[in-house]
Amino acid sequence: MPRIAYAFPDEVLEHVFSFIHSDQDRNAISLVCKSWYEIERWCRRSIFVGNCYAVSPVMVVKRFPKLRSISLKGKPHFADFNLVPEDWGGYACPWIEAMASAYPWLEEIRLKRMVLTDESLELISKSFKNFQVLVLSSCEGFSTDGLAAIAANCRNLRELDLRESEVEDLSGHWLSQFPDSFTSLVSLNISCLGSEVSTCALERLLAGCPNLQSLRLNRAVPLEKLVNLLGRSPNLVELGTGAYTSEMQPDVFSDLSRAFVGCKQLKSLSGFWDAMPYYLPAVYPISSRLTSLNLSYATTESPYLVKLVSECRNLQRLWVMDYIEDSGLEALAVSCKDLRELRVFPSDPFGLEPNVALTERGLVSVSEGCPELQSVLYFCRQMSNAALVTIARNRPNMTRFRLCIIEPRKPDYLTLQPLDAGFGAIVEHCKNLRRLSLSGLLTDRVFEYIGSYGKKLEMLSVAFAGDSDLGLHYVLSGCDNLRKLEVRDCPFGDKALLANAAKLETMRSLWMSSCNVSFGACKLLGQKMPRLNVEVIIDERGPPDSMPESCLVEKLYIYRTVAGPRMDMPGFVWRYTGP
Amino acid sequence: MELQLGLALPTQNPIQGLNLTNNGLECSELRRPSFCIESHRHVKNKRSFEESFEYSSKSLPLLVWNGQPNDEDDRGGKRNRNAHPANENNEEENRLVGWPPIKSCRKKKIHQQHPRFPIRNAGGMLAENGDRGSNSSYVKVKMAGVAVGRKIDLRLYSSYETLTNKLFSMFNKCQKPEEEKESFTLTYQAEEGDWLVAGDVPWQSFIDSVKRLEIVRSGVAEST
Repeated sequence: MPRIAYAFPDEVLEHVFSFIHSDQDRNAISLVCKSWYEIERWCRRSIFVGNCYAVSPVMVVKRFPKLRSISLKGKPHFADFNLVPEDWGGYACPWIEAMASAYPWLEEIRLKRMVLTDESLELISKSFKNFQVLVLSSCEGFSTDGLAAIAANCRNLRELDLRESEVEDLSGHWLSQFPDSFTSLVSLNISCLGSEVSTCALERLLAGCPNLQSLRLNRAVPLEKLVNLLGRSPNLVELGTGAYTSEMQPDVFSDLSRAFVGCKQLKSLSGFWDAMPYYLPAVYPISSRLTSLNLSYATTESPYLVKLVSECRNLQRLWVMDYIEDSGLEALAVSCKDLRELRVFPSDPFGLEPNVALTERGLVSVSEGCPELQSVLYFCRQMSNAALVTIARNRPNMTRFRLCIIEPRKPDYLTLQPLDAGFGAIVEHCKNLRRLSLSGLLTDRVFEYIGSYGKKLEMLSVAFAGDSDLGLHYVLSGCDNLRKLEVRDCPFGDKALLANAAKLETMRSLWMSSCNVSFGACKLLGQKMPRLNVEVIIDERGPPDSMPESCLVEKLYIYRTVAGPRMDMPGFVWRYTGP
Repeated sequence: MELQLGLALPTQNPIQGLNLTNNGLECSELRRPSFCIESHRHVKNKRSFEESFEYSSKSLPLLVWNGQPNDEDDRGGKRNRNAHPANENNEEENRLVGWPPIKSCRKKKIHQQHPRFPIRNAGGMLAENGDRGSNSSYVKVKMAGVAVGRKIDLRLYSSYETLTNKLFSMFNKCQKPEEEKESFTLTYQAEEGDWLVAGDVPWQSFIDSVKRLEIVRSGVAEST
């Protein structure tokens, strides 16, 4: 009986594979047999590397000779909160260099939490003739000089997105490096830049790029200038304003309103730094078109936020500060029946007393009123099991639930019990929950629930929770789809880690800081699991070699890899090297 | 060995002989530095390890637990590291590194905006929009040759360009015709007390440190 794999010539198979885009499907195809592996690798155009140290650039280039698009992630997520020391790693340079020689036709580079230099940016700008997309999310290490090289040399650039990166802002002149003949820009996000960008250069750029759909300005762009810029980009779908404040002038108001109306495709607004109530109603004429509103930098008082939000009846995504208060969220629940994602950020996270009237009630209202709500990030100062159970029952379709009760280990404020039952209800009812962040007072019980019910859970963030190793054990042994686990300040230790060592090879990474893992366990794990990198971040006590095995490590990052130990470990990262 | 940063409790059961088996390592006892954070922590029914989970033979453990229940007996040790209760925070903004989990770009904005939060007066009502009281950021502006100074609210401006435009329109009327051709430089007094030329530092740093403004004739600025 002829084997199916030989039934079609390679070209036919390749044509069939060209319709398969998802990474998972492509990976599955490559496992069918050797010839499918070969055919597939030659026609893979795009890859996503979730941990840049899981594989080496050389390996990638060797396996996939014809890539057009690459996405890489570097530092662990907790680097966002200053838990990872400077110079830890995540360097993009070796990747850029490898790709510069291997992929002259590379079109897209997307990096997250990586360190990138001006030299690399220059290399990108000169190596890839058809370079189109550069997305640098939470990256650092480069300056506006590097951006100038991109602007000057990338003739076909479509997207330049610097979201939340830390850029050394030498001057705003880099924008003028886009040549007059440049027309291809579709998306520009410079919201993270501190210094002023020449508005002349911006205007010229916008005038030359009729296909611009997404423009996110930085805070330094004044409101009056925004009006001019909007006039030049009538096809905008997404706009991030600069500072949304000015002297109260009726003509600026009406010009602004008219400019918003003139952008007939406008669906998403963000920016709004220092938003003045006076200018918020300029948005009203287009409010019914808006599906996404990011007011998370608007330090505006509740009534004005509420009025705006209530006008936007088709809102799907809202990011807002806790100035909106419970009453505002109740109004949101009444007006915005299509809401899918809500993020509420704290205005005074380090204050000791609540400064706004935002409690668990706001979230409960939204969970009741918004049937499509799937994704929540909520900072608050009190929570109850009853509220969490209600939310869980209301919204079994929840897929991402991140709750941050600001004070660590805070119990249910009504009963003074741990919040185990509440979060337990979340994992029990929300059967498609993929991401969960816990807070408040929690015992091992909550992890038992998570291990039992969280079968689709992919990412879990835990802080100041649990009683013992059992907690960690429940999660590692129960959550079948767990990819990323990050833990801080929990009494989880050696036993659970070693008993579940094999599980770690099925995950992308595990971060543990201020837990109870001993140096001895790290050594053992590193010794016995060669396909894991068990990296200990050394603190002021000195390298683990000089510590007794029973001593606890402060920070630990474990990830699976086929690339062996990384070559760029700084002095403060230790890894088991030999007997 | 002692409580360095409240880490490890005295070792009671050091790691005993490790025997290599087919699937992993067995270890008869591993020191378990358990502790209890708060003595009023709610303690549930203790169960043995095997009762608590389904032991999967696929898991290739490096440690086969001998089924001893986790003893929560050891309440003597209290973790101190980074675990200051919130009400001990007075001066320092965040004793706990990285908590609450807010990205640094957002933290910077909060830090900058903190003094300008809307305040509630004694009656619990939000202060009127126009009446920011002590939360305003008005600075005095003086111009060379002009007797009477002005005050402006810096919060209304987001860049040097908007500020200088405003100052220009404010003071333009004060100039005598023959002075129109002169060029002026905007200087400011920073927190430390010294006078600097405006425009060198990013706008936000300028806002954070400016105390007073003065518009001087360009020649004067260069000679000081």
